Amino acid sequence: MLEIKSPRRLQWMTAEVREVVGETPRVRSLVLEVPDWPGHRAGQHVDVRLTAEDGYQAQRSYSIASAPAAGRVTLTVERIAEGEVSPYLAGEARPGDKFELRGPIGGYFVWTPDLGGPLFLVAGGSGVVPLMAMLRQRAAAMSTVPATLLYSSRTQADIIYRAELERLAGQGGLTVVHTLTRERPAGWRGFTRRIDRAMLESVGYPPGAHPGIFVCGPTPLVEAAARALRDIGHEPHLIKTERFGPTGS
Amino acid sequence: MDRQSPLDGNAAGGALRELFALDVTAAEIICDGCGAVAEIGAVPAYGGAMGAIVRCAHCDTVMLRLSHTPAGLWLDMRGTRRLFIAAPA
Repeated sequence: MLEIKSPRRLQWMTAEVREVVGETPRVRSLVLEVPDWPGHRAGQHVDVRLTAEDGYQAQRSYSIASAPAAGRVTLTVERIAEGEVSPYLAGEARPGDKFELRGPIGGYFVWTPDLGGPLFLVAGGSGVVPLMAMLRQRAAAMSTVPATLLYSSRTQADIIYRAELERLAGQGGLTVVHTLTRERPAGWRGFTRRIDRAMLESVGYPPGAHPGIFVCGPTPLVEAAARALRDIGHEPHLIKTERFGPTGS
Repeated sequence: MDRQSPLDGNAAGGALRELFALDVTAAEIICDGCGAVAEIGAVPAYGGAMGAIVRCAHCDTVMLRLSHTPAGLWLDMRGTRRLFIAAPA
């Protein structure tokens, strides 16, 4: 018998913007206060609904960037030129603004410290957001699970959370490897090409270590990486993927 | 992330929670077209204010269609042979 512990209907809640953090020229983080927020698991997302004065509603899903906490949730949003919701969230939203949100949503692309590791995270562009929630939770829980993030960005200026990732990597047990696809800055020590099998093999853990693998980014990156990871010999059930629109990295 | 093109079952989670008491993105869904087994979070899907569409990654069968209409909520699962939700560990 499947026990449903205190089933909670997924309801729209009011979120108030408390703080806005510029991450890159196209990406902002919004720290939200959501009084009824029950907490979440790293990797989950929310639906955001905006209602215009004429009643028109637009709704999109956004990954949660913060480690679980009651009453607070941080979203990191990339501005998509033709988007209906992201130009507001990534451009116009100010502290004090309110909008509707529901969540947390998702039970597939999630990591909690008790799942152990090693943890191999593969990100393209703003696909790093749910993976950052995992790294923040790992740090908050003082987990010693070995973790590696392989993160593909267009240019150095497009790297989201760059300073925080450096700081987290300095605390041990976490390796962060960057690759840039449209720039080769002087003195750059990371990769300068798209994520491929050789990169995944040299940066990641061997299949025998049974790493939990999370891949998030634009659909072509996710599908190429997932295929390469299977070819390397990683067990398909350990490879979790999350795809989003063709914003590229 | 601003999800605007057909993506995967993770994005359909919110719309599906309007009907299902549990989060079903980790549930196993068996395609009635080809018998493929997958977790809903892993297969191609669309989710939004209008509802959700979940497809088979192997044969493209529409396994599940949830739609909001002014009249009410429609759930069409002709393409699903079975849905399995594991007991919590």
